[in-house]
Amino acid sequence: MAIRTPDRIGSARPRGDRRPRQNFETWSWFFMRVSGLVLIFLALTHFAITHIANDVTDTKIDFVGKRWSNPLWQVFDWALLALALLHGLNGLRTIIDDYVRAPARRITVKAVLYTLSFGLFAFGTLTIFTFTR
Amino acid sequence: MSPSSKVYRGKSGQWAFVGHRVSGFLVFAFLLLHIVDVSLVRWPAIYNDVHAVYGNILLRLFEVGLLFALLFHSLNGLRIVLVDFFPDGVRNQRLLLSGVVFLTLAAGIPGAWIIVKPFFLG
Repeated sequence: MAIRTPDRIGSARPRGDRRPRQNFETWSWFFMRVSGLVLIFLALTHFAITHIANDVTDTKIDFVGKRWSNPLWQVFDWALLALALLHGLNGLRTIIDDYVRAPARRITVKAVLYTLSFGLFAFGTLTIFTFTR
Repeated sequence: MSPSSKVYRGKSGQWAFVGHRVSGFLVFAFLLLHIVDVSLVRWPAIYNDVHAVYGNILLRLFEVGLLFALLFHSLNGLRIVLVDFFPDGVRNQRLLLSGVVFLTLAAGIPGAWIIVKPFFLG
C-alpha cells in the first residue's frame, strides 16, 4: 500500500546520504508495482476474452479444451494464476497486519491464508497442465 | 482528545485507499473460487452444469461487479505506480484519481451491458 512507500518523493536526496537498506518489505513493495503492471495486461486480456468477446455460457468444456491445446495459453493462464495469487496473497498479508493485532490470531489467520493459497496454486497448476480432452 | 478527533481525514486519497483494499480483497476471493470452478474440467459433466449457472442474472451481475473491481484496482494501481515513481504523479494525484474513476465508468458501463445483454435479449 502507498503507506509503505519509501521516502523518495520529490527532489533527490542530499549528496552523501546513504540509501536505506533494502529489506523484505522494500522488495514486497517493488514486487506489487511490477506484478501489478503485468497483471493489468494478463487479467484484463483474460476477462475480455472470457466475458466480453465470448459470452460466459459459451465457455464450456470444449472452449477450455481448445484453448489449452495451445501451450501459449497454458503459460498465459499459469502466469496469471501465479502472479495473481502472489499479488493477492501479499496484499492480504498487509491487510492482516493492519487489522488483526493479536499475535496468536494473526498467525492463525495467516496460516489459513497461506495454506489455502498454496493448496489452490498446486491444484490450479495441475489443472492447467494435466488437462486432456 | 476524544477518539473521534483522532480519525484520519485523508479526503479523496483515503477513499482511493479504501477502494483499492476492498476491490483487491474481492478480486482475490473470486480468484480462489475461480480456481475451484475451472478445476472441475476434470469432470466435464459437473463443469458444464456448474458453468451453466454463470449464465443466470444474479451471477451476471456478480461478473459486472468483478469487472468494476478489476477496472478500478487496475487503474488505481497504475495511479499508485505513477505517484510512487514520478514527482509529477504526486502533484497531480487528485486529477489522476478523477481519471481513474472516469475510465472505470467509461469502460465498465459498456462492458456491463455486454455481460447482461444476453440475459435480456436471449
